Amino acid sequence: MINMTDKKAEQKNWGVSYGQMVKNEFMKNKLNIISLFFIIVLFLLAIFAPFIANDKPYVIRIEGKLSFPLFSSLTANDYVILLAACIGLCQLLLMRRNQRTIEPTMRGHVLRRQLSINAAIFIICSVMLYIFIPSKLDATDYKGMISSNRASDAVFAPIPYGYARTDLRKREQPPSREHWLGTDDVGSDVLCRLIYGSRISLSVGFVAVGISSLIGIIIGAVLGYFGGKVDFIGMRFIEIMMAIPVFFLIITIVAYWERSLFNIMVIIGLTTWTGDARFIRAEFFKLRNQDFIQAAVSLGLPIRSILFRHMLPNGIAPVLVNATFGVAGAIFIEAALSFLGFGVAPPTPSWGQMLSLGVSTTGRFLWWLTLFPGLAIFVTVLAYNLVGEGLRDAVDPRLRKAA
Amino acid sequence: MSENGTLLSVENLSTYFFTEEGLVKAVQDVSFCIKKGKTFALVGESGCGKSITALSVMRLIPIPPGKIVSGKIILEKQNLLKCAEKKMRAIRGNSIAMIFQEPMTSLNPVFTIGSQIVEAIQLHQKKSFEQAREDAIQMLRKVGISDPQRRIDEYPHQMSGGMRQRVMIAMAISCKPQLLIADEPTTALDVTIQAQILDLLDDLQRQDGMSILLITHDLGVVAERADDVGVMYASRIVEMASGRELFAGPLHPYTQGLLKARPTLGYQGKRLAIIEGTVPNPLKFPSGCKFHPRCYLGCKDKRCQNLEPQLRQVLPGRFAACWYVPGYETAQEKAEYESSYGPKQ
Repeated sequence: MINMTDKKAEQKNWGVSYGQMVKNEFMKNKLNIISLFFIIVLFLLAIFAPFIANDKPYVIRIEGKLSFPLFSSLTANDYVILLAACIGLCQLLLMRRNQRTIEPTMRGHVLRRQLSINAAIFIICSVMLYIFIPSKLDATDYKGMISSNRASDAVFAPIPYGYARTDLRKREQPPSREHWLGTDDVGSDVLCRLIYGSRISLSVGFVAVGISSLIGIIIGAVLGYFGGKVDFIGMRFIEIMMAIPVFFLIITIVAYWERSLFNIMVIIGLTTWTGDARFIRAEFFKLRNQDFIQAAVSLGLPIRSILFRHMLPNGIAPVLVNATFGVAGAIFIEAALSFLGFGVAPPTPSWGQMLSLGVSTTGRFLWWLTLFPGLAIFVTVLAYNLVGEGLRDAVDPRLRKAA
Repeated sequence: MSENGTLLSVENLSTYFFTEEGLVKAVQDVSFCIKKGKTFALVGESGCGKSITALSVMRLIPIPPGKIVSGKIILEKQNLLKCAEKKMRAIRGNSIAMIFQEPMTSLNPVFTIGSQIVEAIQLHQKKSFEQAREDAIQMLRKVGISDPQRRIDEYPHQMSGGMRQRVMIAMAISCKPQLLIADEPTTALDVTIQAQILDLLDDLQRQDGMSILLITHDLGVVAERADDVGVMYASRIVEMASGRELFAGPLHPYTQGLLKARPTLGYQGKRLAIIEGTVPNPLKFPSGCKFHPRCYLGCKDKRCQNLEPQLRQVLPGRFAACWYVPGYETAQEKAEYESSYGPKQ
């Protein structure tokens, strides 16, 4: 009996790469799947935000002529996000197909080619989009046109409000059938702003973590591989970086320069790489004396290939896990900054900024302005942390056995 | 020592390690040369410096703590110790390749074996991926892996130790190196696989005419396959000769002891001979001849205790480092010895 299960397990492992093993292990836990599902939903909301919440109708007939104001009002940003989503999806499907149709030895080679082609397409297309799509403000009041019978046959988005559309007659209204999650101090729909706010949160999370992981991996790899004096000096530098209170540094910098999302992302990225660097350094210390690294050196491979092709895949797991926690951390920092008024400038919506409206404006406590953005931050950070935890358990077989 | 037909000559190589506990002289004053298409075996106990010698040839000594303090390593008129790192990278894998002793850990677990071979071929021979892949399949077939078309896409953990060692060999010979360094290629394998691997190396040597530096502590392996043998003890080569001569009549007391300690067929009931004592601690080598505390000839000899013998030619093609080997000491040294310690017993 034992033999049979052993054999089954072996057959299942036949040709299964490490990544697939981690995926299978990750998918065993229900909580992980739920968290991942939530994150995917959040992503879809962020990507398709203009189609879900928009004060412009999909279709409208004005004076007998059909027009599509929602589509014509999409900005270059929206198009680039959609394009990125499309290409990302294509890449995922391609990778799935690779798993089935291309033998493992070819896969890396093919994947590199696909990635570079897709990246090229993305860059060319986004540059063209930014050049050719004018940023125009469509301030037409379509709802007013309908009520005054100048237009008909309108189909609106499920949430027919824009994030920048104010309505001073409907300030600070609690949740109702019209505004599901209420309105804020200038009469904007809270649900709509929540949905657009997820764009800010996710982009801060991913760009900041992307920057910090990249810096961390490169510095950590160099320190870990070369060791000795390089390592000594590098580690002192890392300790200095760690001693800087990131939050106050960001507040200071944002106070001096303009309040832009870009600044926040870059600063978070430039200051939080120390953890990644230390993880990678420790892994590389362990790896550089391994026989297969010696073998790679003895084959005369260049140092770049040894560091990033042969060593990195063996030591990337803790950084991936750390990155997931890092996304949660960056979202949190951004929310806190916005709450304090150092985040993105209104009318761009951000969860932290909405949260602050609940308590500050009139001295009254507006529960819907506190609860819903607070819940959004809480659940998102929780989901990322759960995914990080699940990933950590999945990549570390020792933890797996203990659990 | 170099002559025509020599591929690699190592002259007076010394490699030291500057550790926290003190200076470890891992390799001292080692000289040998490897002829084209021949096998040179370096034999010795664990920790005697064989592997460090090999790593020095590849310039793979970890610096620090290690350092090649002196010597020359000449591969076809080029001193490897004076090469820039960039040039050395072009030599590694291309002119000199190496097989490591532990096949279980010498392959990168995240890649298929194919991609590891292909990378080396692409790098050194500037071939396209598809061509390199074809070459890799050829190589796998050459080292006796059945069904290489399928095997090339497997991960190392799907293979047995013997298979992995074959893959290692395929990887090493994929760029047709002139010199193959085999660092205890069979230590981790069981006996039947050992023989297969060694036969494979023999075949490949015959086909491609490459030279092999074979590092081993297995005298049986050496007796069968080595053209020339160097016996190392405590960081030095103590005896060097052609394989046949060395096994027929060892000169150095250490070599004699080693050969006596071998079990032979039909050797029953009696205990095997041993060499008394243990390998000296490399931090505190004995003074004089490093073998003298364990030597049946020199343990009480004042000169052996104080003066270290260098490797010298004692007979045509035979080298030894021992005061007791006939023909080793010069007349002058003999006179000096007798004047300071009295007549030789």
